[in-house]
Amino acid sequence: MKNISICVGSSCHLKGSYKIIELAKAYIAEHNLEDKVNLGAAFCLGRCTDGVSVKIDDEIICGVSEGNFRQIFDEKVLADLS
Amino acid sequence: MMNSKAFSFCTDIGYLSVNKHDEQLCGDHVELVEQDENSIVFVLADGLGSGVKASILSTLTSKIISTMMANSMSVEDCVATMAATLPVCDVRKVAYSTFTIIRVVNNKEAEIIQYDNPQVIMLRDGKNYDYPKTINQIDGKTIYHSKIPLKLDDTFITTSDGAIYAGVGSSLNFGWQRDNIIEFMEGVYDREYSAKALATILLDECVRLYGGSPGDDTTVGVIKIREREQVNLMIGPPSDPKDLNKMLTLFFSKEGKHIVCGGTTSTLTGQFLGKPVIPCLDYISPDIPPMATIEGVDLVTEGVVTISRVLDYAKDYLGENKLYDDWTILQDGASCIARMLFEDATDINFYVGRAVNAAHQNPNLPITFNIKMQLVDELSKCLKSMGKKIKVSYF
Repeated sequence: MKNISICVGSSCHLKGSYKIIELAKAYIAEHNLEDKVNLGAAFCLGRCTDGVSVKIDDEIICGVSEGNFRQIFDEKVLADLS
Repeated sequence: MMNSKAFSFCTDIGYLSVNKHDEQLCGDHVELVEQDENSIVFVLADGLGSGVKASILSTLTSKIISTMMANSMSVEDCVATMAATLPVCDVRKVAYSTFTIIRVVNNKEAEIIQYDNPQVIMLRDGKNYDYPKTINQIDGKTIYHSKIPLKLDDTFITTSDGAIYAGVGSSLNFGWQRDNIIEFMEGVYDREYSAKALATILLDECVRLYGGSPGDDTTVGVIKIREREQVNLMIGPPSDPKDLNKMLTLFFSKEGKHIVCGGTTSTLTGQFLGKPVIPCLDYISPDIPPMATIEGVDLVTEGVVTISRVLDYAKDYLGENKLYDDWTILQDGASCIARMLFEDATDINFYVGRAVNAAHQNPNLPITFNIKMQLVDELSKCLKSMGKKIKVSYF
């Protein structure tokens, strides 16, 4: 089980939290991970200068964007679960 | 006990006008003066004719009356001063403006003085209430005078004659009589509606009956007696972290609803209350960050982005009122705050923390410390214009 929280604080929101949440939902559906991933939001992870911040279990990953989303999720989520 | 209860009442006032088609100026004018904390004078004047002449007459009339009444001068003096001051119309050889005065004294009694405008409609518990009137002659003018002890939810609806002429010759043969307006307002009445909402509903109906092109300036003013309701809003952590406990203790010791805005502020509030902050994942509108919940807090939202949208709504509400259907229905953070502040609250306390969020001092981000302070400043000005009592405390 993976716990993923996507930051929706002011800075991350302005850098595109909405898009990342949509991508994450689509990613989970695409790989049938509904039972293996707990997707939630976070109210400011305290890394505002380098958003969008995503917390995967105990690790905070900064600077998540549409461009690097798939690479990060393949590496940190899918690889660990399979 | 009766007295102390009456003092917890306050007035909720909303008014708006549409101009006669093709006119730039409105010949109706509303003036509102706060005599003291619990007493107001509301004057609706309708100047003879339309356009600039009518506008001058009604503006002068309502200004003179409201200023004089607020200084406790008699109706006779007001009418005499008006008659001596108003410019005489070249065409009609008269100086003429009708008026309705509604004066609420200590939030306990309404005094209504009416000259030639459609008679004020009063709803008590949502039903028409036929209040007593006495007739006076002042300077050859027939003036109706009433004094009414107030009850909670009493609603006074005043209109210029444009409202009762709505639909003449087009959608209705004889216009919209006072009885029709009463029936309509009894039908739409809901005690949850604000004065502004009721006024908007009635004016929209008039414009509809006019087929979208009003044949006369039309104004609707609504005064509603309601209970005071306090709302407290906190945004930002204090500049000195040592003041955090003091700020939160003061904030939560206040009666009424509590709104917490800002990610860091919410996290600190959760720690203070010993309750988890549970953010919601779903964006209701892509522009406004999702809300969160903390047990013991009525609303938890993000900070600057949400508040700046609330400010947009406030400015619109005071002006064209085009976004009303958005914020009264949508469930995003900004709309929820707007409803709580604009419709529910009569007294609002802002708790503003002046901590600078280091992360926001980033040239790539359109949010700065100054913007937060400006937002609160502007928002409290707008809320004051809505007739709310505002207190801002900085930490």
